[in-house]
Amino acid sequence: MRYSIRAAVILALTFGVAITPFVMTDRYILRILTFVGINLIMVAGLSLLFGYAGQISLGQAAFYGLGAYTSGYLAKAGVPWLLALVGGVAVAAIGGLLIALPSLRLKGHYLAMATLGFGEIMLFFFTETESVTGGSNGLRGIPAASIGPLEFATPVAKYFLVWSVVGIVLVLAANIVRRRPGRALRAIHGSETGAQACGIDTVKVKIQVFVLSAGLGGLAGVLYAHYVGFVSPSTFTLHYSLILVTMVALGGMGSLGGAVAGTVLLTLLPYVDAIIPGLPRSTVELIQDWTNDIYGMVLILVMLFMPRGLAGWATSLVARFGGRDRAGGSVHQGGGA
Amino acid sequence: METSELLQLAIAGLKNGSIYALLALGFTIVYAATNVINFAQGEFYMLGGMFAVYAFTQFELPLLVSVPLAVLAVAGIGMLFETLAIRPRKDAEPMALIIITVGGSLVFASLARHAFGSDALPLPEFTAGPSFLFAGAAIERQTVWIWGIVLVTVAGLTFLYSKTRLGRAMRACMQNREAARLMGIDTARVVMISFGLAAALGALAGVAVTPLTSTRFDIGAGIAVKGFAAAILGGLGSPLAAVAGGLLLGLVEQAVIPFSSALKDVVALGVLLAVLFLRPQGLFRRARREKM
Repeated sequence: MRYSIRAAVILALTFGVAITPFVMTDRYILRILTFVGINLIMVAGLSLLFGYAGQISLGQAAFYGLGAYTSGYLAKAGVPWLLALVGGVAVAAIGGLLIALPSLRLKGHYLAMATLGFGEIMLFFFTETESVTGGSNGLRGIPAASIGPLEFATPVAKYFLVWSVVGIVLVLAANIVRRRPGRALRAIHGSETGAQACGIDTVKVKIQVFVLSAGLGGLAGVLYAHYVGFVSPSTFTLHYSLILVTMVALGGMGSLGGAVAGTVLLTLLPYVDAIIPGLPRSTVELIQDWTNDIYGMVLILVMLFMPRGLAGWATSLVARFGGRDRAGGSVHQGGGA
Repeated sequence: METSELLQLAIAGLKNGSIYALLALGFTIVYAATNVINFAQGEFYMLGGMFAVYAFTQFELPLLVSVPLAVLAVAGIGMLFETLAIRPRKDAEPMALIIITVGGSLVFASLARHAFGSDALPLPEFTAGPSFLFAGAAIERQTVWIWGIVLVTVAGLTFLYSKTRLGRAMRACMQNREAARLMGIDTARVVMISFGLAAALGALAGVAVTPLTSTRFDIGAGIAVKGFAAAILGGLGSPLAAVAGGLLLGLVEQAVIPFSSALKDVVALGVLLAVLFLRPQGLFRRARREKM
């Protein structure tokens, strides 16, 4: 029965994502929802690395930046978008490999500090290598994404491009976590020695998940660069990396669905006015002013009182109400709404 | 380069290095008591400067009253943070505690912005007057204060660890918390005091440097990375090694300035990664078998 609930939720969400641009024609809302999609790709990568394998990264923004700058630079030089995309993902993945190899023997706060340091160093290079990145002024005039004659220039087209990629990434990630590689990641999270004893090549798996999450970060960066048409260092900060960690933690470690929910909630938080139209202006401004406090408090409170995050909370809710309902009909409605 | 210029760089290096040393001591003390790296340590530095500016400008207290008040207030906040946010997580799972301190750093920085605004706030030097001249190089009076504070701190910590009951309890926790608890040491109290002490040292560094650099709500994360680089250079073990790590980092930073002043800011990050990847046990300790 759990599977039918999940299928109903996924179907309903997919349908909702597909019809949104036709129901909500407001450009502002489409823009925000496109950013939700871009963040989802970032978080899918971080969820595999951190949520499943337990390898914390406080430097995901670096991969985001590597993808964005590489692809933006290539596209401006006249390289077709698909090739620029491959380049952006590849450079980010190589960055992931470079940080993964020496990080293999680091754990916990050592790994946290190493990834944080890597992120800050990359931010330094984004700012200082002016001839390539445009320095603190940024890289302007990046062309919109296009495949042959097909150009993703309008807000609706960009929305569908980003969310198609989101769909592919989430299906891929869900397949990883449900099958053998996902079990290997969870085993490493539980105990590396234990995982080794079960015949898992922990070194190989850790490098793979690092590179995969970096590549997904690069992919999100590529989409971002060609969506906004402009990249500057202020996007790729430690602050962004911390928000991504907050999204995974709120959703629940080791739950892809939870990470998705956490990402949607926290991305929309500063834009509550677009989602709930009737909200008074003063309330909206208050929430925007206190966004960072809320992110920080979410991190602390989730770790103290809800260590399994939204996913753990949803599971216990389904267990409580779903178990009693024989036909399961009302659960379907509740889940789909 | 002339000798006086070299001397000037060395003075600046030892000044910045003293600040890193105080932060590194904070990381080391908390790590010794709890095995936690406190990612909010830089915020204590920021809050120290902020509180001192506030007491000095809003309450118009004398500087030499404002400064100790600010340090005490931040020590209180450190203990409160431990009590409210660290201690309730009973299993003390390292990853959870890292995330809690990261969250704390976001909250402290953000609350400081609400309370003190987003402008850079200045503070006068502790004692006004011209710089001292030494072999052709100038030493600001505030720099002498910073060196004095570090010396007194090191002497105080040495006394605390070797001569007092509390210090012995802290050293016992450092070696084995569970065994210390079984010997009747109130480990929860030691952890709380360690947080307070680390917060006070961070605040002291922040207050001492504010007359030279001014302070802002968002400077915590940057300085925390430098303090941590110094701490890891020293190996996160003995307080003296932490101080040595801080001074060394300060000098290395100045050493690159003749080549490229832009590189100065990335030196600490490079040192941090190099030490983590090549010698995670620090410069002064032998390798341990266990993984970091």
